[in-house]
Amino acid sequence: MEIEELREKFLKLNFDEAEFHVDGDDIVGFARACGETASRYTDANDPDFQAPPTFPARFHGRRMLPRDIPLEGKIPLDAGKAVMPRKVIRAGTRLVGKSYLNEIYEKTGRSGRMIFLVSRMELFDEADDLACIVDSRMVVRERPRE
Amino acid sequence: MILDLHSHSVVSDDGRAKVRNYCQWIRKKELPIDGFVLTEHRQFDDASDYSGLAREFDLTILKASEVETEYGHVLVFGVTPALVGAFDFTDIALPLARVLEQSERHGAVAVPCHPGRTRVGMCAHVETRGIPDGVRIVEVYNGGSRGSEDEAAQALATAQGYQGIGGSDAHIVSHIGRCATRFPAPVGTEGALVEALRAGEFEAMSWKSKN
Repeated sequence: MEIEELREKFLKLNFDEAEFHVDGDDIVGFARACGETASRYTDANDPDFQAPPTFPARFHGRRMLPRDIPLEGKIPLDAGKAVMPRKVIRAGTRLVGKSYLNEIYEKTGRSGRMIFLVSRMELFDEADDLACIVDSRMVVRERPRE
Repeated sequence: MILDLHSHSVVSDDGRAKVRNYCQWIRKKELPIDGFVLTEHRQFDDASDYSGLAREFDLTILKASEVETEYGHVLVFGVTPALVGAFDFTDIALPLARVLEQSERHGAVAVPCHPGRTRVGMCAHVETRGIPDGVRIVEVYNGGSRGSEDEAAQALATAQGYQGIGGSDAHIVSHIGRCATRFPAPVGTEGALVEALRAGEFEAMSWKSKN
């Protein structure tokens, strides 16, 4: 896999769009699973009830990567997530998530060369305001040459 | 003065520690180091300014880089804008000879790190590529290396007459200060660090089993 070729062909191009409905019960369940105790996250009757900042990490589009990305049969592993909240998200909101590859880079480690793919989903609310950005980092390991 | 010469903050893609949290940890745990050097992966973090944190915690915080070569990973101390332009820091297959040559030309010092590690350390490549010219210092204590990997690094240094430094290679807060380097005089700037390394008066230290 040539890194420059991947960048040229796939960076910054939308490959997926999906719609999500923010459900109050899901917010409460997510918050409790995370160990949240603040009532604005765990009590739907709280006047400031809202999703915890990391809540959008649970949203997944129809595809995690572009359909024709050449991974040579390798399965990418989860290499972490980053959530960048831009607006408070409340129950009942409808969000549209648009995904594209924001970064493609390589590094070397004890196991050899690794290619990192950072899929970014930008979530827009009904006003078309950017509500949140979620980066999903995936790593593809190259089989080391012995 | 004791400095941890190898650490990563959240600026590195795999770093999970904020610089403030390193400072807090060093003071809370009363670690016997006077500061640390941020050696972010495949880049030089010119933008961040840690002078306020350095004053607040009375610590020396310096910046350097960790780049990747055909001989494994290499720390570069004394990075300047001109050196950043001299080769592509993001390239994972830089020729070590070029990194050494350009570092020397731009007043920096290049130090192969964790040389005992598989694939990303110099020892793994010496057998097939030979001993590279121009290396004077290697990292003999690395906080992320296994005992046998540090032993291999020390054996290489002894065999080749290299001097040795120590660094934690911390990516998380609790790993800072596991290994470090003692200098006989204060080192307060990147330039002073380069001078001290060139002067050759330093000693690698490890507290791996204690932290």
